[in-house]
Amino acid sequence: MTTATVDEPVIPAVRSDGLVIDLHHVAKTYRGRIRALCGIDMQVRRGEVFGLLGPNGAGKSTLVKILMTVIRPTECRGTMLGEPVGHKPTLAKVGYLPEHHRFPPYLTGSQVVDFYGALSGSPRADRRRRTGELLELVGMKDWAKKKVGSYSKGMRQRIGIAQSLVNSPEVVLLDEPTDGVDPVGRRDIREIVQRLRSEGRTVFINSHLLSELEMVCDRVAILVQGRVVSQGTIDELTADKRRYEIELTAEPDAAAAYFQRALPEAIRHGEHATLTPPAPGERETDRAPPTHSPLTRRVGYHGQLATGEWLEIDHATLRIGSTEPATIQPIIDALRERGAVIRSIRQNRPSLEDLFMQAVTDPSTGATLKPGADRARKGRTP
Amino acid sequence: MMMRQTAALFVDAYRELNSRKLFWITLMLSGLVVAAFAAVGIDKQGFTILWFRLDFIPLNSDILSPALLYKTMFLSLGLKIWLAWIAAILALITTAGMIPDLIAGGSIEMMLSKPVSRVRLFLTKYAAGLLFVTFQVGVFSLASFFVIGVRGGEWEPALLLAIPLVVAFFSFLFCMCVLFGLLTRSTIASLLLTLLFWFFIFILNAADGALVQWRSMAEAQRDALVRQVAQAEGNTRQLLIAERRSLGEELPEDYHPTEEEIAGVNPFLKGLRDKRASAEKTAAQAAKWSGILFAAKTIVPKTGETIDLLERTLISMADLEALTGSSDKPRQTTVDEQTAEVEFSQYDLSMRSATILRERSVLWILGTSFAFEAVVLALSCVIFARRDF
Repeated sequence: MTTATVDEPVIPAVRSDGLVIDLHHVAKTYRGRIRALCGIDMQVRRGEVFGLLGPNGAGKSTLVKILMTVIRPTECRGTMLGEPVGHKPTLAKVGYLPEHHRFPPYLTGSQVVDFYGALSGSPRADRRRRTGELLELVGMKDWAKKKVGSYSKGMRQRIGIAQSLVNSPEVVLLDEPTDGVDPVGRRDIREIVQRLRSEGRTVFINSHLLSELEMVCDRVAILVQGRVVSQGTIDELTADKRRYEIELTAEPDAAAAYFQRALPEAIRHGEHATLTPPAPGERETDRAPPTHSPLTRRVGYHGQLATGEWLEIDHATLRIGSTEPATIQPIIDALRERGAVIRSIRQNRPSLEDLFMQAVTDPSTGATLKPGADRARKGRTP
Repeated sequence: MMMRQTAALFVDAYRELNSRKLFWITLMLSGLVVAAFAAVGIDKQGFTILWFRLDFIPLNSDILSPALLYKTMFLSLGLKIWLAWIAAILALITTAGMIPDLIAGGSIEMMLSKPVSRVRLFLTKYAAGLLFVTFQVGVFSLASFFVIGVRGGEWEPALLLAIPLVVAFFSFLFCMCVLFGLLTRSTIASLLLTLLFWFFIFILNAADGALVQWRSMAEAQRDALVRQVAQAEGNTRQLLIAERRSLGEELPEDYHPTEEEIAGVNPFLKGLRDKRASAEKTAAQAAKWSGILFAAKTIVPKTGETIDLLERTLISMADLEALTGSSDKPRQTTVDEQTAEVEFSQYDLSMRSATILRERSVLWILGTSFAFEAVVLALSCVIFARRDF
């Protein structure tokens, strides 16, 4: 990675709503049967990094392909850069990296960048200059004269990023940009995305690598089985799921006993803390392994503090739905008084992965949804 | 911007073809064919190849002028065998992958996500494929033009008509190749289907050729019999009149013997007339069937006829007459009066076939073929523009 300058910042066109992508009721039904997208509403603001996440087959790539006119939507009321989706000339201002791209193997790296730049309508002089700059930016300068056919996956991905920027686009759509890229490459790509944002460009990233998105995205949308299940900043989406976790050193059964004895004390000032036992028929094996997010599985007990915060007991861990230190002080006191040994106290904010897992978990059964667009198998038994 | 994109697509097509060895192999083979032309020579002593004299070939420049030798070599070997057959197959192999490669997953997204309309993208790719053939044929025809000029001493610019004609011929096959490529997404499948289509046209042409041959024979036979019957009737009539006059009968000026009288004198006339009637029936049948096949051929592209257009231009009907009729063989099909047996004249048959074939207008040959190509291309464009990739 070098510090070469990409180019002059984008001068954003004045648009009252400031939306680069504004989609309403985007739907795609294949052959009249498979509903890949069922009415997407999505807004991407100018200059932000927008992450679209979802499981395999959720329709992420289909949505991007509709924006890039590769797929014709069944229904679409929406605009990109102020023009209706499908307006070809707009694409001159858009950069795109498809998911499983295949560049002509007989072209060299710099020829690929130049070729797609020419198709985007960039003048020759611009292309020349930018090809050099971009190859340096993605760290492929030494390979510029080698045929793409001889590249590794990660190198092709870097060239792919370079070509998506050759026309100096206002908005860049990257479909799985870190696919097949090693950790160094991922960091490089992240830095490029941040640089693009600082230049005022809008970046739309499709990914299932959640940690990647979390590090760079301003806003995310979660797409599951062709529907947007939530959309907003990560803070907005996680606001009601922040929590404290108190973990004891005791065995799960003993720990549960500690919690049960301690909690009435801890809520002495309040009136009630309702604890509900596990649902009938629930067995230990139904639960996900302890390393998994608590939000994705059922727990031993869950209830509510008198002050209104939710709580749950999961093996040796107690979770309280609050980020206020004052809330948990009485609980710590009560546990310590009863001789419980606290291993750790963590203030926890759910990760994108938590949000994601929650989105793909069927709340009624706790099972993760099968991949694909079909929604008919909901409610099956394990 | 449009020029920029089109230029980029053409450069890409060139690089793609360039990366395929076959492009250069075809060009090299073209060079070899032209070199073979140049190596052949003819002079007063006889026939030569390079420095070697082939004494066993009974040809010299008095019988066959060098210019005609090279022209016929160009037409029969260079055009009909090399360009319209071997090189065409090589060109199909080289270009058959263009559309399947274009619409392959991962590559089509890149192309469609650019500010280029789908129809324009498709037609540009198509034109790029044809440009490849134009280049190959152009190099070959120009080289041949110079060889014929230098070695044969005749500079024949009409030879360069081979370029548009062969490109047109190839485009009739290429449009099907492109359609098959779109439908099957497979290079091999589209290539095989195109060859199958070509074979189908070939069969149709062969059938057409056979029917034209049949029709020529039937008509030659009919005409000969009509002639012979008329002649026999005339002779018999003269004979009858002379006989009756010699017997001292007073006959009016416009006297005509009756049919019975004629038949009574000439015993062969009935056989000839019967044969004439059946020949007329056969000729009508031949004309009908040849007409049906002609109608069938109207809707498919005329590959063979397109290539033959050059021969039509280079060799006039008069030239053809001179070429075919150089020997002292009979020029007319004749009938033996007594046995009613038909003696075909090869010259008569060839001229009849050539006339039938040359009567097919350039408009019919090229017009209907281009109409076919336009329909196939329009269909391909619709498929390409409406598909989700």
